[in-house]
Amino acid sequence: MNFLPNRLRNWLDERRMTAIDLPIWLIGMAVAFAWFAPFVWMVSTSLKYPSDVMTQDIEWLPHRVTLNNYIKVFDYPIVRWGLNSIIQAVTSTALSVLFGAMAGYALARLRFPGRDALFAIFLASLMIPTEVSIIPMLLGVIKLGWASSYQALILPTIGNVFSVYIFRQFFLSFPKEIEEAARVDGAGPLRLFFLIALPLARAPAIAATVILFTLNWNNFLWPLLVTFDESMKTLPVGIAAFTPVVGTHTQLEGFSVAMAAVTILSVPSLLLFFFLQRYFIQGISQGSLKQ
Amino acid sequence: MSSATLPAKMPPRWGHRIDDDRRVDFVGYLFVAFFSVPFFLFNILPVFFGIYVGFTRWSIIGSPRWVGLDNFTQAFNDRWVWVGFENVLLYGLLIVPSVTVLGLVFALFVNRGYPLSGLARALFFAPNVVSATVIGLVWVWLLDTQYGLVNHYFSFFGVGAIPWLTSTQWSLVGVSIASVWWDLGLAFVLFLAALQDIPSDLTEAALVDGAGPWARLRFIILPHLRPVLSMVVTLQLISTLRIFSQVYVMTNGGPGVSSQSPIYYVYQVAIVRNLFGYASAIAMLLFIGILMLTLLQRFILSERA
Repeated sequence: MNFLPNRLRNWLDERRMTAIDLPIWLIGMAVAFAWFAPFVWMVSTSLKYPSDVMTQDIEWLPHRVTLNNYIKVFDYPIVRWGLNSIIQAVTSTALSVLFGAMAGYALARLRFPGRDALFAIFLASLMIPTEVSIIPMLLGVIKLGWASSYQALILPTIGNVFSVYIFRQFFLSFPKEIEEAARVDGAGPLRLFFLIALPLARAPAIAATVILFTLNWNNFLWPLLVTFDESMKTLPVGIAAFTPVVGTHTQLEGFSVAMAAVTILSVPSLLLFFFLQRYFIQGISQGSLKQ
Repeated sequence: MSSATLPAKMPPRWGHRIDDDRRVDFVGYLFVAFFSVPFFLFNILPVFFGIYVGFTRWSIIGSPRWVGLDNFTQAFNDRWVWVGFENVLLYGLLIVPSVTVLGLVFALFVNRGYPLSGLARALFFAPNVVSATVIGLVWVWLLDTQYGLVNHYFSFFGVGAIPWLTSTQWSLVGVSIASVWWDLGLAFVLFLAALQDIPSDLTEAALVDGAGPWARLRFIILPHLRPVLSMVVTLQLISTLRIFSQVYVMTNGGPGVSSQSPIYYVYQVAIVRNLFGYASAIAMLLFIGILMLTLLQRFILSERA
């Protein structure tokens, strides 16, 4: 290690790194930034003049910047799509977190015949991919006259087992004494749950909320199938038609407008993720690892 | 009033102690009902309804007509069904190993705990949290034959412009590249969680015994990761069998049918051709494949446990 300058060697020692670790670290970080680079390129393209986009030279930082693409996006009913997306994602998430918390609590803390069989059915249903039931469900929804409606967008997404699972895990390890004390004070099960158990279940509630919100916000196949009406589309479905390629898609606008549209679409998920990373990553690995 | 008539504690109002084995909380049914009703109505019922629909000829306008096994025999003779399954096999060959190997390598890197490894973790996982629309459109732009970033950097190696999404030879590869970028996050996080579960005294003992990085990987890390490895592979296989959104956004299954997937074909049969019965039957065949994979994975996992 003598070939390294002193200050670098000290810096490495402080971090318990050796000389071999240095190139590994540098390469690894470079790969990590490259992995994220498509998002940077997306934002960069969205800020360029259309004439600067279709050129051979690569400008990571545009030499002149415009917000015109973002304005053009609003030529499409993107406000309406955004509103639909918000209504759909917020309602679906709120209902599935609340119902999931109640079911998770009951499955972990209350005793009633058929409880374990019910949980087994919930878990087994994870093996059924949504794609199997989606065509019959669509047929049913159309026959009910629910095509292009909020109830069709929202109701089928509520029964998400993930939220039951994550709350059940939490309440299984919930100290008995708290409930015992509240019961002695005369609290009924409803008060016990809403005033004591639920407020203490912050961690699973945040994890379930952020994960289900992004899931609902990004949901593609079901909203695509069930919205025949342009005004009832959600953001992912509406913006998908911006693809400026050959094929059956209509050539709407250039890449710069398309990139502005997907920047708008991805910002909520990415912000939520960067601020609440811990809940995301723990929740996801818990949800799929420990079934 | 003598103190003997009062119990030490007031009995709980709902009549039993919390750890009493004989108690039955009927209110539990109420708690579970809010979740169970939408769950059974929208997750379970459609599966059985779908089995029925698969045996009928049914379009949006009109009523069902029972056709027995017709849809299934038709599916076996339908060239496009086979094209879908052939393509999904190729998708699997491209996506599953890439996601597994890259996910493991990235997890091993982040797990070393270098400076900024928290940032690296976030950057590797980030693509996983955005919509198929974002992935699709961004990669259509990145893979553009003339002006795309990928071909631009490839040209340094003297490779000519590759028509990633607009030629029959490459379209499937182009969609796979985008899918690997999108899907990697889950595999990465699962590997990372498993790596962090390895008891540190085990690795420290190996270090004391003079085990180099390869020996540690071979004799400690990989054996420990085996269950997660099989889980990642099957989860990724299943999600590849279900590949749809990125195909829809990026290529519309084309050019021709070169990047078509089974779900994409189901979508076309149902929506474009308005054959709901036939679409259900094809989806059912796919479901049987996915179910077999899932059961295989459960079996492998329980063998190891």
